[in-house]
Amino acid sequence: MPANLDAPLVAREALPGPYALLTFAHAAVAREARAGQFVMIKAHTAPEPFLRRPFSIMAVDPGRGTFTLFLKGVGPGSRALIDMRVGETAGCLGPLGKPFEAPPPGAEALLVAGGYGVAPFYMFGEELRAQRRPFHLFYGGRTAPDLPLEEILIEGGYPLALSTDDGSRGTPGRVTVPLEAYLGAEGRQAVLYACGPDAMLHAVARVAQARGLAAQVSLDPWMGCGVGTCLGCVVKIQRPSDARPKWRPACTEGPVFDARDVVWS
Amino acid sequence: MSGRLAVELAGLRLKNPLLAASGTFGYGVEYERLMDLSTLGGIVSKGLYLEPRDGCDVPRIVETPSGLLNAIGLQGVGVRAYVRDVLPRLERHDTAVVVNVCGDTVEEYAEVTRILEDAPRVDAIEINISCPNVKKGGMAFGGDPKMTHEVVAAVRRVTRRPVVPKLSPNVADIALFARVCEEAGASAVSCVNTLLGMVVDVEQRRPRLAFGTGGLSGPAIRPIAVRMAWQAARAVSVPVIGIGGIMCAEDALEFLIVGCRAVQVGTANFVDPGVYERINAGLLSYLDRHGLAGIGDVVGTLAYPGETK
Ligand SMILES: Cc1cc2nc3c(=O)[nH]c(=O)nc-3n(C[C@H](O)[C@H](O)[C@H](O)COP(=O)(O)OP(=O)(O)OC[C@H]3O[C@@H](n4cnc5c(N)ncnc54)[C@H](O)[C@@H]3O)c2cc1C
Ligand SMILES: Cc1cc2nc3c(=O)[nH]c(=O)nc-3n(C[C@H](O)[C@H](O)[C@H](O)COP(=O)(O)O)c2cc1C
Ligand code: FES
Repeated sequence: MPANLDAPLVAREALPGPYALLTFAHAAVAREARAGQFVMIKAHTAPEPFLRRPFSIMAVDPGRGTFTLFLKGVGPGSRALIDMRVGETAGCLGPLGKPFEAPPPGAEALLVAGGYGVAPFYMFGEELRAQRRPFHLFYGGRTAPDLPLEEILIEGGYPLALSTDDGSRGTPGRVTVPLEAYLGAEGRQAVLYACGPDAMLHAVARVAQARGLAAQVSLDPWMGCGVGTCLGCVVKIQRPSDARPKWRPACTEGPVFDARDVVWS
Repeated sequence: MSGRLAVELAGLRLKNPLLAASGTFGYGVEYERLMDLSTLGGIVSKGLYLEPRDGCDVPRIVETPSGLLNAIGLQGVGVRAYVRDVLPRLERHDTAVVVNVCGDTVEEYAEVTRILEDAPRVDAIEINISCPNVKKGGMAFGGDPKMTHEVVAAVRRVTRRPVVPKLSPNVADIALFARVCEEAGASAVSCVNTLLGMVVDVEQRRPRLAFGTGGLSGPAIRPIAVRMAWQAARAVSVPVIGIGGIMCAEDALEFLIVGCRAVQVGTANFVDPGVYERINAGLLSYLDRHGLAGIGDVVGTLAYPGETK
């Protein structure tokens, strides 16, 4: 069950650029979270912005009762978290949302990450490894500095394909370029998983559709509450059982959705 | 919970003066797993029409300095699904259930209320004549004294339960509207709904919300809401429920001191679902500090400059 706690920051690692890894103590998240789930969190050190912000859970340590976030500082909420010092607390509710579902036996999991969208795949990779399921991680960014988790993923032994739009690291081009190359011409048994900017999610959904593969995409609309009550985070979804598209809260029915059900704007 | 926080409101006994505000607490059951709903004085449901509604296009919310601007457009399941699916689940929680009733027409308000009349778990009806994010009904009714009277009287006729119109702050003279509600048979008034606002995306040169305008809530509106609750409380003898920007015990006390019998907490639910426990604890320690027996001793104790109490 999600728990609402004052979570102390127990470790903090600044990464090059606007990125950081933050580890908080929160027993419920540490114990129960699954890859794809998120927390609503706000640094108590800054009064504004006053709403909490959603962040994917990147890793958990149930033994220590901690979890880790991978943050990109983009505005006041994320920067206030990055500026926290060890021992300071954040209001934190989690774990929230629907996680990624592992692929059926025999199918490989292909994880496609853009920018900070790589966060949940660190944890998903660990889960898949524990279940001895084959997977491959495609990690794309605009430029080499936009791949701050590269080293950590390589050290962790993640099967990794890097790409950058400007070709400064890995395969030049969008992240779907190495993905399509990997899928090749013959029909591979795979499920695609994607987290990143909308345009990237849509592109991965099209790759999946063209090849008749299943895909799960993690959407990131602006969220107010994280628990399904403000209805600010709704996305247009049409499930096979729906006569027409419906606004569904991404915080409770997602953030992970079957790509076929998403009505792309 | 200590009886010191209990209040009487239009024939209802609430164990404490805190209710969850409409639209910020879903139908209540969403918070079942996060907190003990019995710690609340009451739950006001999300606004309900006769039929399910889709609501507005996105973006629907944008944060502003100490505020939240929303245009949700009353997306909801409709009153029949609420009665069938939600009310039975609220059975096991010891808290008052207030249903926020909406309509495009006077007849629809009455019809929704009539359907609720057969449902045992409902304790009171809040009439939403103040939503700024719908084209019909809502604020269009709450901004017109004649329509306000008509809606409140129509609902009053079809229910035995307390009827609580929710006033719009988007009027020049809130006291007038409070009086109109009282005359039409209101048992109490809720004060206030969101303030009409707008945020512009300067790069795109268009409103940030898909609907265009939206309703502003949160601490940003609190001084206005306190002033309006004070004016309403002076204008009528039925109880006033104060709403607007309450985040902590001090905020709730401001409304109680200017004359509100109870308060509703809205946007703060999004920031921290633990807010009720904190406010209740803060109210009790205030009573201790001021040597007061119960929360009722705080209500309407404002010493306004130049007035004798
Ligand atoms: C389920 C979920 C998981 C997420 N996981 C992570 C994560 O692991 N790491 C991470 O760094 N970020 C993550 N985000 C995004 C993060 O929530 C936003 O970056 C953060 O809310 C921005 O808040 P702020 O106050 O720093 O900036 P704001 O001032 O609120 O926003 C700064 C800029 O970013 C834009 N923006 C804000 N929120 C979003 C959003 N959700 N999507 C796209 N643009 C947005 C704003 O329009 C603005 O231009 C996630 C979002 C969701 C919904
Ligand atoms: C997202 C959102 C949805 C709301 N929906 C409703 C509603 O359905 N019916 C209603 O009467 N008021 C609705 N309101 C108004 C609140 O009940 C409350 O009057 C207002 O937010 C001011 O209180 P606050 O500052 O504590 O949030 C809504 C407010 C918000 C922020
Ligand atoms: S964030 Fe409030 S409903 Fe999803």
